[in-house]
Parts: sequence; structure tokens; C-alpha cells
Amino acid sequence: MNTGLFTWHTHSNALSDFKYGLSLAKSSGAKSLLVLTCSQNHYPEDQLSALLSTCSLTVFGGIYPMLTLQNTLLEQGALIIGFHESFDVTLFSQLHQVTDEESLEALITSTLEAKDNYCGRNDFLMFYDSLINNIEDFIDCMFECLDHGINIAGGGAGNLDFIQNPCIFTNQGLHKNAVLLVTIPNKVSVGVAHGWKIFKGPFLVSNAHENTVYSLNYQSAFEVYCQAIESASDYKFNNSNFFDIAKNFPLGIEDINHNLIVRDPIYAHKSDLKCAGSIPINSMVYLLKSDTDTLIASAEQAAITAFSTPTEITSTTMIFDCISRVLYMEDKFEQELDVIAKHCTTPILFGVLSLGEIANSPSGAIRLLNKSTVISSW
Amino acid sequence: MNKALFIISLQHELAMAIGNKLDLKAMLKVFLKVCFNRLNLTSSHIYVYCDHSGMPKKLVALESMDYQHFISIPKNKRGQPWHKNPILTNFAEQLNHAQQNLSLQCDNDQYLFGFIIPDHGLLIFETHYAIAEEVQKALSPILKKLATSCYTSLVHDSLVKEVLSRQLIEDKVAYQAQHDGLTGLFNRQHINHLLKSAIDDAHSNKKIGSVIFIDLNRFKPINDAMGHSVGDKILLTLANRLYSLNNENIDVGRFGGDEFIIIIKNLNHCYQDTINQLISQINQLLIIPFVIDANSYKLSCSIGYSLFPLQSSTVNNLIKFADIAMYEAKREKCRLGKKYQTVMSEKIKRRLAYADDMKQGLENGDFKLYYQAQYSHYGDIIGAEALLRWQHPVHGIESPAVYIPIAEESDLILAIGQWVLEQACRDIHQLELLTLPESFKKIAINISAKQLNQHDFQDRVLNAIKQNDIPAERLALELTENLLVENIEDSIKLIAALKEQAIDCSIDDFGTGYSSLTYLKRIPASLLKIDRSFVANIDQCKESAAIASMIISLGKTLNMNILAEGVETAAELNCLKTLGCYQYQGYYFSKPLPFEKFVQLLN
Repeated sequence: MNTGLFTWHTHSNALSDFKYGLSLAKSSGAKSLLVLTCSQNHYPEDQLSALLSTCSLTVFGGIYPMLTLQNTLLEQGALIIGFHESFDVTLFSQLHQVTDEESLEALITSTLEAKDNYCGRNDFLMFYDSLINNIEDFIDCMFECLDHGINIAGGGAGNLDFIQNPCIFTNQGLHKNAVLLVTIPNKVSVGVAHGWKIFKGPFLVSNAHENTVYSLNYQSAFEVYCQAIESASDYKFNNSNFFDIAKNFPLGIEDINHNLIVRDPIYAHKSDLKCAGSIPINSMVYLLKSDTDTLIASAEQAAITAFSTPTEITSTTMIFDCISRVLYMEDKFEQELDVIAKHCTTPILFGVLSLGEIANSPSGAIRLLNKSTVISSW
Repeated sequence: MNKALFIISLQHELAMAIGNKLDLKAMLKVFLKVCFNRLNLTSSHIYVYCDHSGMPKKLVALESMDYQHFISIPKNKRGQPWHKNPILTNFAEQLNHAQQNLSLQCDNDQYLFGFIIPDHGLLIFETHYAIAEEVQKALSPILKKLATSCYTSLVHDSLVKEVLSRQLIEDKVAYQAQHDGLTGLFNRQHINHLLKSAIDDAHSNKKIGSVIFIDLNRFKPINDAMGHSVGDKILLTLANRLYSLNNENIDVGRFGGDEFIIIIKNLNHCYQDTINQLISQINQLLIIPFVIDANSYKLSCSIGYSLFPLQSSTVNNLIKFADIAMYEAKREKCRLGKKYQTVMSEKIKRRLAYADDMKQGLENGDFKLYYQAQYSHYGDIIGAEALLRWQHPVHGIESPAVYIPIAEESDLILAIGQWVLEQACRDIHQLELLTLPESFKKIAINISAKQLNQHDFQDRVLNAIKQNDIPAERLALELTENLLVENIEDSIKLIAALKEQAIDCSIDDFGTGYSSLTYLKRIPASLLKIDRSFVANIDQCKESAAIASMIISLGKTLNMNILAEGVETAAELNCLKTLGCYQYQGYYFSKPLPFEKFVQLLN
């Protein structure tokens, strides 16, 4: 089945161009539109919201730091993909007000019940505001309530300033503190990779809470982290270069099957390390490192996995690639897009550079990933 | 080395995940979540040993290993709850039977690993890989710790339940202590408490308040005639209606029976308007008929009120004053409510003193029976009505219209009624010793409502007859129409029973009440007495003549004799004769006479 029908993109950051693209999409015969825009566009929120809410077709998507189309990076502009099918879209909003597990479970359960628990639907895309602080609780709870055996790919929307603005699109307009779940009528095949390898460790996470690591091996997390890097490299931390160095040395939680779940240290506060994802207390973590070739090779592996899974005829491939990979690889990042495009079997290939990625783990559970490439094809 | 460290770290992490919550399910969920993430599980499940009612057990006897599915992550598999999954269910059964770690490779390349939580249940992991032997072994101390935590949670749970049930009971007791069992309104005790607080607040805030006393009019006949279940439903309906008035400044309570109290707080100088408005609202609430079991009842109420702190600052006084004012409103049939006035209390005091005088008079023999003869149209004396006269030591002869209602308010009427019965029987006995005219048949005495309600009233009548050794047919009882109707079924039975003993009954003041003709037909009375109000000037008043004529026809139809009361002129007599009434009583013939003079009249 050919789900993709219409593709339009622009490198322009003008809302009028986007409006034009939207009008083309509306007259294309599509029933649902996946709309992605770059945060650099700085579209006026109210005008963008009005455009979305007056659109007669089902709209979903979001604002991401950058977009990709085939093997091209779009640092500004917009992308619209039209689909034959009217996709089912579920919005979980006001998540910042859901502060305890019971309320979260009640919200998810009631929303899922209203959708008949997605009976017979096992394939999803997920777009979410990357600055929701309980996204892992949300995906854990959603997995608990949904079922295992689902296939999902997704990525965090927003901008690199880490200032929260509405960034999720629906027919109701723009949303922040929201998760958008979109059912895909075909089987979604997912390939996941990160390409980061153990460099130092292990370290025992002797004190941590959610995204913040307070101590490693019963010493200041920040000091242990810095010493480990400085003793084995030429990097020297000062007051202003934490992120520049840290983007090269993420933490990795090793699971029982020796897979590494990457956690990106975003910033240091006093002696603590704040990461883009939770690190369980009493777990073991490693310091990771990589290089451009390894990262590109891992992306290629993810592409091979995604495209080699026997499914029905696929038409669309969407990549959720971590923005940190662009920041790390800089000009060489397009090589990653090239290797993915090389293996891509679908006519439509596009993606977002995301702030956090979502995919199934080999066990079936849904995981929040960092610094990873998630390739979904359907 | 790293593997060993990994296992120790895993063990440590799982151990630290145990006991973080007190509730059993929450505690196990935290543990399962950590297992799920750290062990890369596909699904995880806990079964617990339960008692017969399906509740997790604190301690399990070896011979009773009933277990139930308790929690799973995720909750379902392909939309089906896990407890309906045959593979998992079979595996749990095998695991429980084996009581040792088990593993199973499924057809879909998934694995099931089962562990025993000592004394508490089963732990099952589903994985996409085989869990290494050493990791399985590392779980053993974790499971012991989990078992201890399960026990702690269950003990805590039972304590929580105990505290909760105690709290519920305490709440219930507290509620019952403050609320009326039938209506759910505040009860008398709590109303007293609320009033005390309201009085204190009124003093502190320099505000005014009011106690409104509400009493239903003529509720008792409904209760008696239709039964208490209907009466209770009416009270409940009324309570619900009155509760609609409840707000932060108005408390509604049931004082008892058909009496309700409303406390109004925080009134300002315009209090009279507010009170009048509330009374109007109460009356409005009563205008709507009470439909109970397909019957419709129309009710009204009497309302009295007192003010605090203007009229008193004590709970008892305020309620008493409102009650007195309500009583005045009832006496005057005033629908607008009566405000308490000091004179009302004085009036009551006077009435109480008067009742004391009456009691004294009864003991001193100040009461006498006078007899007013009753005549046939031939001019023969056919009987007499015994009438009570009281010679007050100070006021002289008192009017029965004054003292009978006062006596009826207390049980004094019973003592007076009993004296009348016995005295009349003594006088009949005296008459029996004389040679009486053939036409003379009987002496009639008046019976009050309270006498009629005495459970042994019939015995009392028969005893008086027996003790004075008089023929029963010489005594007749006069009952007012209203009295009969209020307690119709019992009245019918009583009159029939007395009739069997040859004691006749007559219906007094007929025409003034509103008895149903259906009832009248069933009352086995012998005589209808046309009320004096229809007899007065009957010769000149067509309406009176028409009513009398109707009563006469009715009596004939029901095979009852008809006697006209209060005949005072020849013209009245002639008119009555023309209408077909042939028995009379009145000043035209004879005024009430002392027994001795009545005897002379008979002779």
C-alpha cells in the first residue's frame, strides 16, 4: 500500500511560503498531513496556529531544530507530507499538570479507552514536546497501559535554546507540554542505533534522581566525570566549555544484554550532572565516546535493519536523528544521511533532528533514547 | 570482573527498589518496574497467595496455596488481560506446584522465568533472551527481601483497613449523634448545640437570630388513619423540603414528632422582613400536596418564633418561647406565624394555675352534674344529657367552654371524664330506685378524645355500670363528629362493642364537622344530634332549615333517631316537627338542672 502521496518542502522561513505549501497539500487529494517546520523559521505562533486550526485535513507534526529530506539537511524551512489515509491522532496535553503516577495513569487510561485501546492498531509515530519533564514516566505508563507488541518511533520537538514554546501541531493549533500519538495504518519497521562505545568505567550511580546524577562511586558526579575525561584526553574543563566537551562523552547505562542506553549530559550544576533522560540510582554507567565514522556506520546499520525487515510494500521512511549528532559531526553529518538514503527502499525519505528519540527496545518496551538514530519505515 | 560488578549492582538496585511504598500493589509495581527496565523484560508478573475471599494472605499454611494473578507490566497482552493468557497461567500453575525456580522457552522464541516469593507468591519474567544462571541465583536474596516487604505491606494494609473502618464507625456515630434517624436533619440535641453557638455568635457579632418552631396541623389523624409508614414518608418529604432552606445562616432540624426547628443566624436590623419571608417560604413549601403511595395529602403548619438575644439568651427559653408562640398561632389558626410575646407566657401560667384549680376542685367536690331533659314530640321526657358544672371557689360558676379546652390540654380531662362517668352511673342508680316514667330511657354523658383513646375505655364504662349495678341500656355516650372521624376504625369497633352491651352512642354536634357519609354509614350509632347552631331561629332561616332537613333525612336513611339541641322557642319546635324531627332538648323545655331538681322534674 502506498501511504505517501504528496511531498512539499521549502527552504524559506516565510510563513507565506508555508501557507502556500499548505494550500497545495489541501488540494492534493491527501487526507492527512504530516507537517514539520524548523525552529529557525520563528513563525508567529498565532498565525501558524490559525493556519493549522483552519486546515480541513488531519494535521500532525511539530517544530524541530532541523529537518531532513532525502539526504539534504534543512536548517530552516518546512516539509509537508500528504497521506491517502485519514490518520488517527491522539493528543495528551497539559502533561506538566500531571505530577503523580496515579493521575498520569488515569489520564492515559481514559484517553486510550476513548480510542478503544487502539484495538488492532500496533504501529505508531510519537511527536512530543522535548521539554516535558516526565516524558519517561509517560512512555513507561503508556507502554504499561497499551500492550507489548507495538512498534513505535518518535522524537522530541522544540528548539536548541531549551526555552519551552508550543511545538506540537494538531488541528487544534500549537501545543506545548503535549504528546501526540499517531496511528500508522501499515506495519512500521524500526531500526535503531547510536554508535557510541565504552571508553571508561563502570561507575556506580550512588546517588541520582530522575535526570540528575548526584554522585558516581560515592563521589561528586561532576568531578568523577571531568577527571575521567581529562585523565584520558586532551580536553580540560573550564567554566564555559562543559557542553562542548560533554557532547563527545555521553554516559551509557549497560543493560543485562550489554546494550548501552545513551544518556547525554546537558549541563553541570555544582557537583551534579543533568542528563537528557533518567539514570536509575544503583545502576552502572560507563563513559562513552565515538567518532564520525563509527556514528555513520551505526546509522547505516540502523538503515539496514529498518529496510531489511520483511514487511508489506513500504512507501515512506521517517528518520528521528538526534540533533547532537549534527553538532558532533558538523559538516560530515550529511554522510550519515547519504548512507541512510543509499539503503532506503522507499520513494519518500525525510526526517527530523530531534531532542530525544523514542523507539522500542529489543524486549518490546518503549525507551527514551539520546544521541541515537531511529529509522522508521512503513 | 565487570560481570561480577554488574550482578552486584543489579542485585543492589533491585534490593533498593523493594519496600519503597507501603501499599502492596504499589510496592510490587515499583519493584516490577525496576526489574522490567534493568532485566530488559518483555513482561513481568506477580501472583500472590490469597485467602478464600481473594485477599492476599499475610501467612500461608503449606497445605493451602491458593494464588491469584495480582499485577503485570504491561497490563495486557494483545488487548487481553494476563490472567486470561493460557501460557502464563499454565506456567504459573507449574511454578506453584514445583515451588522452585522454573524456566520455559516458548514457541515464539520468548522465555518465561519463574521464581518463588517465599510464603507470598510467584514472580514471572518474560524475556526475549535466556537469563543467565548467575543472574537467576542473584535474585534469590532479593526474593526473600521482597517476601518480607510483602508481609510488611500486608500488615500495614490491615492496619490501614482497621483505622479506616474505625474512622467510618466514628463518623457514623458522630453523624447519628447529630442527625435525626428518620429525616437526616439535625436532631434535637444538635439543634440545642447549634443554637448555643448561634447565641454566642450573635453576642460577639452584635447580630440577631431567631428560633422558628414549626408544628404540622392535624398530622396525627393522618398518622393514625393511614399508619406510621405514611406518616414517616410525609415527615421525610417535609424534611427534604425544609432542608432546601438550609444555608450558611439557616440550620434546619427535627425537634421530635411533627415538630421542626429552624435557626436563623446573622440577622441585621431588618430581621422582621427576613423572618416573615422565611415563614412565607415555609408555607409555600407546604402548599405542594404530599403524594405518598398514590394518595395526596394537603397539610398546613403552625409557626411560632422567638428572637435572640432580644428575648432570651438561653437555649431552653428560646425554644420554649418559640413553642409557646407556635401554640398561640395554632389556637388562632394563624398561618403567618406568631412572634413570641411575654403575655403568651403569662397566659400559659394562668392556664396552668387554672388547671391546678380544676384539679383541686375535682378533689373538693366542686364539680357537679346537671341534667338537661330530652323530650319527645308528645312532651314526654325520654332521657337527659349530663352536663358538667364547676363551682369555682372564687369565680363562681365557670363556663365549660372555658375549662373543658384547658382540661383537654392535659390529662386532667381523663380524671374529669372518669368522674363524670362514675357520677352519672351513681345518679342513674339513684333514678333506678325511683319510679321513672315509662318514656324515660337513658342518661347520656359526653366523651372526650383522650378518653376514647384509652385502651381500656370500654372496660372502664362496663366497670362503672357494674359497680353501680345499673342496667347498661340506661347509659348512653355522646361523641362529637370530629372525634369519631379522627380515629374512625377504632371508633367503629368501640361503638359496635358497646352496642353489643346495650350501651347506645349518639353523634353530637352533627353538621358542624366534615365527616364523610361513607364513614357515617359504618358508625353503628343510634342517635344523631342536630347542632344547636342549625336549630337557632330555624323557623326564620331557610339555610338552617335545609341543613336540618338534610340531617333528618340522613338519619332516617341510616335508621338513626334525630334529636335537635338548643330548642328555645315554640316556633323552632314547630318548624322541627314539620321537618320530621321528633326529639328535642333545650331551654324551651328545660334548662340543665341539678340532679335533685331533675328528679323533681321527672316526678
